[in-house]
Amino acid sequence: MIKRNQQVLLARINKMKQATDVEEYQKYNGFSGLLKAIDMDKETILDELDLAQLRGRGGAAFPLGKKWRHLYGAKGETKYIVCNADEGEPGTFKDKALLEHDPLSVIEGMVIAGYLFSAKAGYIYMRGEYRRIQKVFQEALDNAEKAGFLGENILGIKGFNYKITIISGAGAYVCGENSALLNSIEGKTGRPRVKPPHLADVGLYLQPTLVNNVESFAGIPVILREGGQAFLDLGTKDGGGTKLICLSGHIKNRGLYEVNLGTPLQEILYSEEYGGGSSTGHPLKFIHFGGQSGPIGAVQNLDACIYSYKGLWDKDLSVGSGAIVVMDDQVSVVDYLVQVAAFFAHESCGKCTPCRLGTTRILELLKKFNTQTAVTGDLERLEKMLMHVTNLSACGLGQSVANPMKSGLAYFPEEFEAGIRETAVSVKGGLW
Amino acid sequence: MSSLSLSEKEAIILENDSDPQRILNMLIAIQYASEEGYIDEETAKLVADRLHLSQARVYEILSFYAILKTEPQARYVLKICNSTPCLFTGGDRLAELLEMILEVPEGQPTPDGLFMYHSIPCIGACDQGPVIKIKDTVFGKLTEAKVYQLIDDLQSGRYQEL
Ligand code: SF4
Ligand code: FES
Repeated sequence: MIKRNQQVLLARINKMKQATDVEEYQKYNGFSGLLKAIDMDKETILDELDLAQLRGRGGAAFPLGKKWRHLYGAKGETKYIVCNADEGEPGTFKDKALLEHDPLSVIEGMVIAGYLFSAKAGYIYMRGEYRRIQKVFQEALDNAEKAGFLGENILGIKGFNYKITIISGAGAYVCGENSALLNSIEGKTGRPRVKPPHLADVGLYLQPTLVNNVESFAGIPVILREGGQAFLDLGTKDGGGTKLICLSGHIKNRGLYEVNLGTPLQEILYSEEYGGGSSTGHPLKFIHFGGQSGPIGAVQNLDACIYSYKGLWDKDLSVGSGAIVVMDDQVSVVDYLVQVAAFFAHESCGKCTPCRLGTTRILELLKKFNTQTAVTGDLERLEKMLMHVTNLSACGLGQSVANPMKSGLAYFPEEFEAGIRETAVSVKGGLW
Repeated sequence: MSSLSLSEKEAIILENDSDPQRILNMLIAIQYASEEGYIDEETAKLVADRLHLSQARVYEILSFYAILKTEPQARYVLKICNSTPCLFTGGDRLAELLEMILEVPEGQPTPDGLFMYHSIPCIGACDQGPVIKIKDTVFGKLTEAKVYQLIDDLQSGRYQEL
């Protein structure tokens, strides 16, 4: 039914006139994944998900089948389903498109989860910046309930009672971290929890909880509708499906695209169908993948790169959220990284010292390189600091600050060296 | 001193079922509906009271989340995205430009209380950079001329709904 090179997640978006209309949604295959699911044995659902090899689309790339199986086996009075719609990763605007233009697909994925785990309550935590979309989503929820896909005795199945509530974020990047997000839903400040315990065992209100990204939930109905194998075939064997990618920066056709995992990166950057090459007339120099916490790659090393999980891992890069931020050769990597560091220093929640102070020290050091006031030894200090922050931070935010820095350093060491004033007197010893 | 009446605030709280889980939904809705664009002490007290939370808890939340404000804001708060995709596609010039036009530094209201601008991280409109956001509305692909136009339009009352 579905072939490669056809839109899957975005298929409905350009066709539907009224994104929140259930009948129209059903006209384009909507809710057929759920209808199939309720006729399936629960173990079979899990098998299909495993087969599909959907990796978490929020950025962590953890196999969704495994996560769902873990929750399936978890013991607790009640299980919660949570959709992480706190998309705040700079360069990323894919979830926004689904939430606004195909909200029912996200709802369908969440209802399937509700059915599988016999959950009574689902939550979607949507960033405060998407306030207008929250209203659209609420309308979709209300329509789904009216049509019998949410609420009491869903689809006439006795005891299948499930509701979804929208919780608004209020401008804290760290709430994209799953445990911080759960704290925020509980009405607390959104600071991450120490893990383990795993959220699948001790999550929202200390009950077993499933947290998945918007794009992941939207993929679930496709898997059940078309079968796990068909979904896998859309991508590569290390990760099935298509991926929403967001092109921004110095690229001609900025915007949201859906590509099959396994598409050559060159095609994404230069073909007219996608990026269309440089927007500035200057050659492209480097790409920041997956958001601020992702690694940076030098364009000249990426000739044969395949945009897939493994294809990027082989180059020490990652798919992450799907952000592809492209910079031309007029941009200094150090200059770029100063801004990235400023972002982390601003967004660190302050709970743990290595991250709170470390992000600030990293920013200060990078600024020194940027203003040519670094001294001998600063490079080593920077590297040590990056290592400390990675290893000693409690959550993913702190742990991934070093990704862009280290890769930038690896590819463009000369730009850092140029920031060192050789004549300056070296600072004795290390400060840290 | 909020421009919202007590019953309007209560209506927002009730719309959210007085549910402490939805405290952020309520606070943002109240803040956006009020003219001064912030949560004053009276409102914080009201929310605490209706949700059976301590005031300290409400203030902890108000100070943690960037969108929530505890000080009066200008009539139009222009938020500039300063994340890298926008910053390197012209966003770096916006603050300077606004300082020139409005003659106040970042974060300070103009003497007439009409404008204020400050930087925020990504708002999910990275393909339209450089961008300015006012409440829920994004003004994208800005050029110098468009920024002048935007300020003019705001001054002449073209965007009353904002
Ligand atoms: S690593 Fe940073 S963001 Fe994460 S909990 Fe620690 S201080 Fe907060
Ligand atoms: S980087 Fe500016 S809106 Fe995303």
